[in-house]
Amino acid sequence: MKDRALLKVENLKTYFPVRKNLVEFILSRKMEYVRAVDDVSFNVGVGDILGVVGESGCGKSTLGRTILRLIEPTAGKIYYEGIDVTSLKKKEMRKLRRKMQMIFQDPHGSLNPRRTVADILRQSVRIHRLADGKAEEDAMIKTSLEEVGLRPAEEFWRRYPILLSGGQRQRVGIGRILILQPKLVVADEPISMLDVSVRMGIVELLAHLREKFGISLIYITHDLATARYICDRIAIMYLGKIVEIAPTEDLLKKPLHPYARALIAAAPVPDPRVKMEELPIIGYVPLIPSDVYTSCRFYPRCPYADKGCRELDPQLVEVEPNHYVACCKTK
Amino acid sequence: MALLEVENLKVYYFTRAGAVKAVDDISFSVDKDETLGLIGESGCGKTTAVFAIMRFAAPPGRIVGGKIIFEDRDILTMSEEEVRLLRGKGIAMVFQAAQNALNPVMTVGQQITEVIHQHEQVTKEEAWERARKQLELVGISGDRAKSYPHEFSGGMKQRVGIAIATACNPRLLILDEPVTGLDVIVQRQLLNLINDLRARLGLPIILITHDLSVIAETCSKVAVMYAGKIVEEADAVSLYEDPAHPYSKLLIKSYPSIKGEKGKLVSIPGAPPGLLNPPVGCYFEPRCPSAMDICREAEPPLVKKDGRLVACHLYK
Repeated sequence: MKDRALLKVENLKTYFPVRKNLVEFILSRKMEYVRAVDDVSFNVGVGDILGVVGESGCGKSTLGRTILRLIEPTAGKIYYEGIDVTSLKKKEMRKLRRKMQMIFQDPHGSLNPRRTVADILRQSVRIHRLADGKAEEDAMIKTSLEEVGLRPAEEFWRRYPILLSGGQRQRVGIGRILILQPKLVVADEPISMLDVSVRMGIVELLAHLREKFGISLIYITHDLATARYICDRIAIMYLGKIVEIAPTEDLLKKPLHPYARALIAAAPVPDPRVKMEELPIIGYVPLIPSDVYTSCRFYPRCPYADKGCRELDPQLVEVEPNHYVACCKTK
Repeated sequence: MALLEVENLKVYYFTRAGAVKAVDDISFSVDKDETLGLIGESGCGKTTAVFAIMRFAAPPGRIVGGKIIFEDRDILTMSEEEVRLLRGKGIAMVFQAAQNALNPVMTVGQQITEVIHQHEQVTKEEAWERARKQLELVGISGDRAKSYPHEFSGGMKQRVGIAIATACNPRLLILDEPVTGLDVIVQRQLLNLINDLRARLGLPIILITHDLSVIAETCSKVAVMYAGKIVEEADAVSLYEDPAHPYSKLLIKSYPSIKGEKGKLVSIPGAPPGLLNPPVGCYFEPRCPSAMDICREAEPPLVKKDGRLVACHLYK
């Protein structure tokens, strides 16, 4: 199974240096880093949808961007179909990019306002030199637009993004990557800026693309509820680490890590008859996370923490088939 | 007599292309012990409607008609000075994205005392003492009154916004999207705070949101807005158990939940109509699965049905 994985991430680390002023630098002489992604490993199979769920600042977007090498990793390996992506040269990487694409969060900011819908897609085709001549380009654009639900394509062809609704813009964003026939797509909060009534339409579209084209998806979100509807597996991140990764329903029904439990308890339920649960979590995400880099990241907020948690940095352990947890308390 | 009664309120934006009917003939009321939720998609007029309650209308917007009766007086006929005294003291509002609504170059204590000095003749020391109490009320240590907004996290800034709004003991609190953009855990902590404040201060609240779960967790009564109109008004439980308007039905069905069985979710095809030249008949008709001929011809009135109000030709 592991060898047939489309994407294999091993001990990936992305650190960002913390800028200090000169005096501080001279006094300490040591660079400090924010560990946005810290020793993360997982696999994504062909046609798999993996959800990466966590709060803001947990490193989930950095993880997605590092996998596509939009941010250079500090350490660790990323294998795509067995190819080590981290060691590729710029030119080789460019060729591979066609297969590894991204859907952005903000459908308003990620489309060029001065290009028409057709030209936005045309740009993708031209950059990767996929078509011979304009007629073929046009045909590809038409197919792609109709595939993402912008039908009939002629109606959207000459429109500028400003004339589209949020949902339609996000469809354009998906159309311009679909035209490249990617195999792996990182979707970074693709629906969080859309209205509730159109969100599920985009989620269904992503599920459809997986069914029809076998596209693997890394679905980054803070919303467990929508992740439930599309993901095969969910990874929960906290301060740069994956603390639990399991098949979706297993995770939601039987979360093992205290942070996963807190996230699930906090998830909003759209039913006034359901009473709000007590939150099994203490305080806030620490402002200076470096204090917890040598211990369990979660111990200051964990209601079950004891002395051992302060001394040990727990690693992911398979406690049930495919259900991995990083917690000292789980045996 | 309810605490607040809004009758036939109309707020239009006068653009060069014509009048955009952002809020078109809506009526609702809030009682002393109520939390009213206003729910709808972006652009449905919910923020414009509550801004009008404080008699704010950003140009080119204008309140063109209706009455807003607060404690037996019509806010729309008050003098400027009376309205100024009302804002903050009678009715207070926490603005959307309160994180960014705070003044970055004033400490939070200064921002709280500023409101107190506006409305009450108190000494500086008294005002600061109250500012500290306000912060404690929303779960922040009083010692942090001298901190600047950037020293707080998003959820804490939202709390500061609530501390400022409740500083002069208003008789009605308006919260505009209080938890949008916050993480789920912070969101839950804030909703707990809102529920707690309502219970402790006995404060009636109008809460605007696009999020059904926020309504479910805080509100007793809900008004569903669509394209500048209220299409359904009911108490929270019956709206959830048995929504009447097709839009409310679809809205509830399109909302995912991690509890219970994983049902089939729906999305509502299409988009709300432009309010510059809205269609004849029911505004929801183009997206409505149960549309009939009459829906294209006549606008449905808001009628009473089983203790709720609904505007749909299905109910006559």
